[in-house]
Amino acid sequence: MSASPSAPKTDFAARIGAIFRPSILLGGLSIALVVALYWLVATRPGVNPALVPTPPRIALTFWEELRSGELAINTWASLQRVMIGFIIGSAVAVLLGFLAGWFRFWGYFLNPLIDAIRPIPALAYIPLVIVWVGIGEPSRIIIIALAVFKPCVVNARAGMQEVAQIYVDAARVLGAGKVRVFWTVALPSAVPYLIAGMRTAMSTGFLALVAAELIAAPTGLGFMIQNAGQYFRTDIAIVGIVVIGIVGSILDQLAKVTGQYLTKWAEVRRS
Amino acid sequence: MNVEAPKLAIRGLTHRFQIEAQTEPLTVLNDINLAIEPGQFVSLIGESGCGKSTLLRIMSGLLPPSEGETLHDGKRVAGIDPKLGFVFQQDAVFPWLTVEGNIEYGPKARGVAKAERARLVEHWSAQVGLTKFRKAYPKHLSGGMRKRVDLARVFANSPDVLLMDEPFGALDVQTKHVMQQVVLDLWRETRNTVVFVTHDLDEAVFLSDVVVVLAARPGRVASIIRVGIDRPRNEATRVSDDFVAAKRELWNAMQAARAMSGN
Repeated sequence: MSASPSAPKTDFAARIGAIFRPSILLGGLSIALVVALYWLVATRPGVNPALVPTPPRIALTFWEELRSGELAINTWASLQRVMIGFIIGSAVAVLLGFLAGWFRFWGYFLNPLIDAIRPIPALAYIPLVIVWVGIGEPSRIIIIALAVFKPCVVNARAGMQEVAQIYVDAARVLGAGKVRVFWTVALPSAVPYLIAGMRTAMSTGFLALVAAELIAAPTGLGFMIQNAGQYFRTDIAIVGIVVIGIVGSILDQLAKVTGQYLTKWAEVRRS
Repeated sequence: MNVEAPKLAIRGLTHRFQIEAQTEPLTVLNDINLAIEPGQFVSLIGESGCGKSTLLRIMSGLLPPSEGETLHDGKRVAGIDPKLGFVFQQDAVFPWLTVEGNIEYGPKARGVAKAERARLVEHWSAQVGLTKFRKAYPKHLSGGMRKRVDLARVFANSPDVLLMDEPFGALDVQTKHVMQQVVLDLWRETRNTVVFVTHDLDEAVFLSDVVVVLAARPGRVASIIRVGIDRPRNEATRVSDDFVAAKRELWNAMQAARAMSGN
């Protein structure tokens, strides 16, 4: 716990205090530790600094990539792909997951299919997608959408299956019809599952992104990493990796905050 | 019984559950016949397994009976009807809605206009003592307060009959006593017909005009006890001679019912 001040703090002091909250301090520490360990390895005698660049070197490269505009172009290209793929994949997944989880008939119809898809990694579709769709932008988006689809459909279905009968009965005896029960009972009680599914989907989306951009992409962070590797520019590759980490975690935080807002009614375990 | 037409009538009601595909179906209720007068507070009491909750669910239309029928104002109950309000034993308050959202859920589902809903929320949240908590989510409320929300929600839907399935079974004794008083106060205001399932002798005596004692396996009516204690009833009622006498009569009836029950 942070110390609770007896005197009223100024806004500024409160903000500074917030930075030193244990959650942020400890969180920053784990990242600092990894960087420090890497730095130790990078500066060991016998390690080629051209292949294992030191953190200052990486920071410099980051700055150069930023100034040249390359980084922005690649980040934006990747972000666009992830978002489009995410929207398509999750929309189809939520629709099918809801159908399978809520309606018995659709469950019988769709469950075998969903359960068969579950163990297949999205990356396994890449050769097929290339052969069938080509190596253009649609292929990359399809691969991301496929990767997003799986965690979303499983969670959407689980959310609907786990709707407590007591709430359905309570709504019905209060006079709610089937449609109203769906919108006012099933949907809100499935929201925590949906959020969890979408957060997982977001990270698998980024996973698929890099793979998708290996398919002759002209831009993108995956392309940047791949291209850098071919020229032994490990510093650029590391910058690409770090940016994916940063962008991915920002999106995850956004999803988390949105989720918390949408599920502010739910009991939360505070560890 | 008086000349008034019954609010609820149960006629020749038998219900069986198919436990396993191969075995004989289990008869949980056998030939129940009951007439409940308008405005009466009736309790159904009996040991566990006597089918009292099943009977209540059938009365609400949640469960269709195997044989026989329930009549509400002379009309056969064929399905769920918001005129038959139901309070569940479990916590059934919607956690994703505020107290306000819960109270106006029924009226909203029935298409009541916004202004009227606001009035209902104000009235019923005050009646159960939750005015200050109208904007709160259920997670911030205690078990007793959630039950108050549940009651307000059902009353706001202006039911004609209230069916309550051991609504206070999960509460501690003090909270339970408070909630019994709340129910009596609400009932005095609305004069709904109430059917209240319980296995608690004191609760049945304190609340009811009539207690229906059920025998188990199969569930059937063992006896019907009238509780003549003056109303309004309050905490002092619980230690009055009338209360103790009524409780003794009911206890005897339950012993007799137990002797009738099968294994």
